[in-house]
Amino acid sequence: MRISEQAKQLCRARILEKAAELFAARGFDQTTTRDIALAAGVAAGTMFNYFPSKETMAMTMVNEALAQGREEFLTRLDGGESLEEELFLLIGTELRRLRPLRPFLGPVLERSLSPFPRKSVCPEGETARQEHLECVRQILLRHGFVTTPEDVAGTIYWSLYLGILASWTGDQSDNQESSRALIDYAIRTFVQMISGAHRGGDHVR
Amino acid sequence: MSADTPRKRGIEARAALLDLMPRQEEAARRRLAELVENVAAKRPPTTSFSRFWILGSLQAKVSCAYLAYWLRSRWADAEERERLKSETHLKAALELLGTMGYLRGAVMKLGQMLATFPDALPEEFARLLPALHFEAPPMHYAMVREVFLDEFGKEPHELFASFEKQAFAAASLGQVHRARLHSGELVAVKIQYPGIARTIESDLKNLRLLMQPMRLGEDWDNTVVKLAEVERVLLAETDYLAEATFAQTVRDAFTPGDGIVIPRVYPEYSTRRVLTTEYLEGVHLEELLESRPSQELRDRYTHLLTVATTRMLYRTHWLLADPNPGNYIFMPDGRLGLVDFGCTRELTDEEWQLQVKVEDALLRRDEKEMERLIVKASLYDSAGQMGRERLELIGRVIRWQLEPWLSEGMFDFGDEDFFRRGMDAMVEVMRKGFTRGMPVHIWTNRFILGARGIVYRLKGRCDFQEIYRRESGRGGRERSTTLCPPLTPPAEPSPPPEGEG
Repeated sequence: MRISEQAKQLCRARILEKAAELFAARGFDQTTTRDIALAAGVAAGTMFNYFPSKETMAMTMVNEALAQGREEFLTRLDGGESLEEELFLLIGTELRRLRPLRPFLGPVLERSLSPFPRKSVCPEGETARQEHLECVRQILLRHGFVTTPEDVAGTIYWSLYLGILASWTGDQSDNQESSRALIDYAIRTFVQMISGAHRGGDHVR
Repeated sequence: MSADTPRKRGIEARAALLDLMPRQEEAARRRLAELVENVAAKRPPTTSFSRFWILGSLQAKVSCAYLAYWLRSRWADAEERERLKSETHLKAALELLGTMGYLRGAVMKLGQMLATFPDALPEEFARLLPALHFEAPPMHYAMVREVFLDEFGKEPHELFASFEKQAFAAASLGQVHRARLHSGELVAVKIQYPGIARTIESDLKNLRLLMQPMRLGEDWDNTVVKLAEVERVLLAETDYLAEATFAQTVRDAFTPGDGIVIPRVYPEYSTRRVLTTEYLEGVHLEELLESRPSQELRDRYTHLLTVATTRMLYRTHWLLADPNPGNYIFMPDGRLGLVDFGCTRELTDEEWQLQVKVEDALLRRDEKEMERLIVKASLYDSAGQMGRERLELIGRVIRWQLEPWLSEGMFDFGDEDFFRRGMDAMVEVMRKGFTRGMPVHIWTNRFILGARGIVYRLKGRCDFQEIYRRESGRGGRERSTTLCPPLTPPAEPSPPPEGEG
């Protein structure tokens, strides 16, 4: 008997929900796929049809949050933003959506977004990178910069962005406000780098 | 572009750099330019650090002044070995100075003052004094929006009927935007730069390193205690809710007849990082001076400023420790507005008792007791231990600070000789490194210097003794509640009231 598409979606959502609860409660590394299957009330084999690993589950949550953040980011634009402001809003809005997942994000992002060569590349991690960089490319384009995700600017941007994510996931300050200052500086550094010495805002004196 | 452009540019940069250096002592000037160049060249050209040296900005100018002071005091007259040692320290200090985010402005301005004195005219000096405040980086509107979401869960335009995207003033920890409440009131919204507390902590760590090579010797421990005090007061300033409470206390100390306005706080639009207060219509000192105010008006504001600061001191035992002239609003109807109570310091009972004793000894003209108190305030056990020179110089500063207390009738704060004597003595104290003392004196000095700088530029007068007697309740008269004559329309300001700095 074939189960309906709706039932599939419900099952998938339930697995993600239970996984998120367990990751938050026990930590990512301390949670096993067996725990998740048990909590979601599905057989381990069935669960693997949906998600091949717990890493995939976590990164699926991340990608969904980031996509929501990007959607919201577009609604927040009023068209008058400078390049620095637009990039700041993008990252700020994405991170706000990621915030509920923050307690267990450290090891997940480290594994899935690591720029170092690995045996197995997490496809969801690659999706996160491509989608974020595509959004950045669109922003740069709006401000007159032509770039591709793989060029130098894209690579430098991604390095700064990974640094921001790393700081933010471990940030103990209220509302991760220390990272907010870091985002500000990182973006100004990037904009200064791609536009020559004369831009970058008042920080650079 | 021609092939020799980079070289040409290098020569131009060098010339520009040399141009920034003080004129005296040609050899020292050249050596300093070399050092600055070397330090700057070590880093990739995209860092803010080297840009800040090479581009000849105002920051570069003031830092050069700071370095020139360092060089003049540590290098010019020294032996060769001493010079090398000083240079090593200087290089380390240069690198550190470039990394400071929040205190850099204040440290460099202090250097500029020390370096330009006594060449600077008193007027220039008075302008520099209030510039000794700290600065946070400016925020763009996207950052402001994110801070609002964190603090209120709402965007500025959701919270207020209208909100100006551009800040209209800089505050020591952030910036101030104009907005309108849904109920119609115009308000000033002060927003703190995120994570500034951490910046302050790291800056003070850097400052400690920067000061280490100054060889403060026996006073080093005292300096460390003072830096801890600075850190405590600055970190306290990051809590806007505490500031709101204090502003309310100050507001309660004044009545409408005083002619002094403390803006109302709107707690429902305030958090630890955002402070919303009534917006006061008026101008800052610069703008007031540009309008060439009458002597009458200058005296009036001098009076009001004196009443405001002495009342805070004598009634609440609080010092306004931020000398930023932007904290005073000269209102079109002749009233004086006081805004921003972030950087304040409450005197402890012990500190207050000492203040009272010094005033009493001064008014009794009891020189022996004055000397004993100066020794005590400088943290020495005896005059002998303190040393004649130090005792005399510190005494000169304290007596200058208290001079208005001894003068009957109108005191002229715009008097050039008076102002110069004070600055002279204070700069001498800094140069000699006679900085040992109670940590609270950082704030009393800052408080007096800031206010004296403002009333000097105002060229204002007031009957200081009269105000002192009223506000302190000492000197045999009761404190009166009506301190300022009734307000008159702005066209004809009220008769010159008594009143300081």
